[in-house]
Amino acid sequence: MLEVLKPGLETSIQDWPGRQGYLKFGFPWSGPMDDWSFRLANVLVGNPVGAAGLECQFIGPTLRFQRDGVFAVTGADMQPKLDGQPVPMWTSTAVKAGQTLELAFAKVGARAYLAVAGGITNEVFFGSRSTFHKGGIGGMGGHAIKAGQVLPVGDGRGQAGRRAKEASRPVIVTDKRWSVEVCRGPNDDWVDEAGHERFLATDWKLSAKSDRGGFRLEGPDWTFTDKAYNKPPEHGSEPGNIVDHGYPLGAINLAGQTPIILVKDWPDGGGFINPYTVPGCAFWKLGQSKPGETYRFSVVSVKDAQARAREITALCNESSIEQA
Amino acid sequence: MMYDEPRFLPGGDRFLEIEFGNELNLELNFRAQALAQAVTSEGIKGVVEIAPFFAAALVHYDPDVISGEDLEAELRRLIGTVTAAEDIEIPSRLIYMPAMYLDPWSAEAIDQYIEKINPNKERDPEFIARLNGLEDVQQLVRVHSGTEYWVAALGFWPGTPFMMPLDPRCRLFAPKYNPPRTFTYKGTIGMGGAATAIYPVDGPGGYQLFARTPVPIWDMQQRLKPFREAPYLLRPTDRMKFVHVTREEFDMIERKCEEGTYEMNVVEYQKFSLKRYRDWVASLDLNARF
Repeated sequence: MLEVLKPGLETSIQDWPGRQGYLKFGFPWSGPMDDWSFRLANVLVGNPVGAAGLECQFIGPTLRFQRDGVFAVTGADMQPKLDGQPVPMWTSTAVKAGQTLELAFAKVGARAYLAVAGGITNEVFFGSRSTFHKGGIGGMGGHAIKAGQVLPVGDGRGQAGRRAKEASRPVIVTDKRWSVEVCRGPNDDWVDEAGHERFLATDWKLSAKSDRGGFRLEGPDWTFTDKAYNKPPEHGSEPGNIVDHGYPLGAINLAGQTPIILVKDWPDGGGFINPYTVPGCAFWKLGQSKPGETYRFSVVSVKDAQARAREITALCNESSIEQA
Repeated sequence: MMYDEPRFLPGGDRFLEIEFGNELNLELNFRAQALAQAVTSEGIKGVVEIAPFFAAALVHYDPDVISGEDLEAELRRLIGTVTAAEDIEIPSRLIYMPAMYLDPWSAEAIDQYIEKINPNKERDPEFIARLNGLEDVQQLVRVHSGTEYWVAALGFWPGTPFMMPLDPRCRLFAPKYNPPRTFTYKGTIGMGGAATAIYPVDGPGGYQLFARTPVPIWDMQQRLKPFREAPYLLRPTDRMKFVHVTREEFDMIERKCEEGTYEMNVVEYQKFSLKRYRDWVASLDLNARF
């Protein structure tokens, strides 16, 4: 059991791959933004890669362990301390009942992941323990964790002193500039050549008005092909309006002139075009970037994006573990 | 228009969007629903889920199990089978939904928008009536409540229906708010484009408002019988019929819903026949209005 002393800025229970299979009823998957760091945290403590853990956003929580166990913190460097003593990131650590784990602000990156041996065992809702807090479902009471809550932990026998090899971890940038893969489509033919060139040549700034549903980007205006203007009236009056359709996760959704990357708690349908889609292999970069940082997008084929996702998955297992 | 061949549009490494056409028309949605039904019953290996929308369907697949090319080939084969069929019958529930038209809560949300955001906004019921050549707002009520609605998709927020009128004589059109409204009561019924929707919870919105239902479409407490299995009421291919109620009836039904004693009327014995529907539409005088 984990007692929440301070909740942090927005700390939520997530599992991987999340609440899949309910898209047609309007449910997003939820789940961790950086699923590379998340899965490695679980491997470190001996859990299945998808077991529920905590996603800690920007400022981490303070938690008291109510029984002995093993934990690991990965992802953003939140300078974890156990009873005031620094403990290393990316390494499994033993903890005694009564000890307090404190995560501070994210010095590098944006989201840290805490896995505990046995996993968090809150109630499963529609196939997942993940929190979708805008919908008020999953997690504990449907929302980010709150002070005073006690998070249930399953039985698990983790080992301390296991470390994720440096070469197996995502490299979080320190110069605030990210290079992010995108695939063209589904609606790339609504944007003209100049629009595509501008999109790929711009450093897009991540707006502070971003959350687990959407990442708003600031940058130049878009230009369109004839298709965006010569269309039946039910599409809507703006060039980026289309007959309401389903949105893929990762879609770069053009709301008026503002592109919004649809992330894990995304609204899964609506009336805007999606000229590009950020594939799964680049999601960890979105998860580790902070407002004000910039993205430069580069096009990859669907096949290359799938191959890259397989490479990341191949790192999220025992082959990436060494003794500390 | 309906495309001669459906378009397959990739959405990153795990999604494929199948677009059947580029307008709001029921035939396109029937295709998307029929494909979703066929995919679900045949169970294509590697397809995790399929979500039909108005004129398209979104497939989420696992590229470690099926390649994008193989998936496209499988879907083309299924679409061929579906479109070659003489008739398609889709199981379809009919839900009677009490609704108070020209209600005070829609009026309050509209007032707030006029006061705070756009003083020149024409009031929604009058605006829709004028735009669609109706005599007055009373005719808007007659026309809007004069048809069954087809649940073409659920999306945007869990359990939120996007619905289209099945009776072509009741087709209405309304642009969305620009900029959007910051507040709408849960249960408010509105239109955007040719679609009718119900707001599942209090929140912002862009549809033109003219009615409200006291019956929830989303209830985490799952108090009423149709919510026993899930916190949402509706599924794609349901039909809904709005039943105009007075303020007194609205208050009574709202109270019963909160107590969990309201008996919802959900009819489950019907199938929707595409062929019979087309024959019926062909027999209508499309210029007639209720």
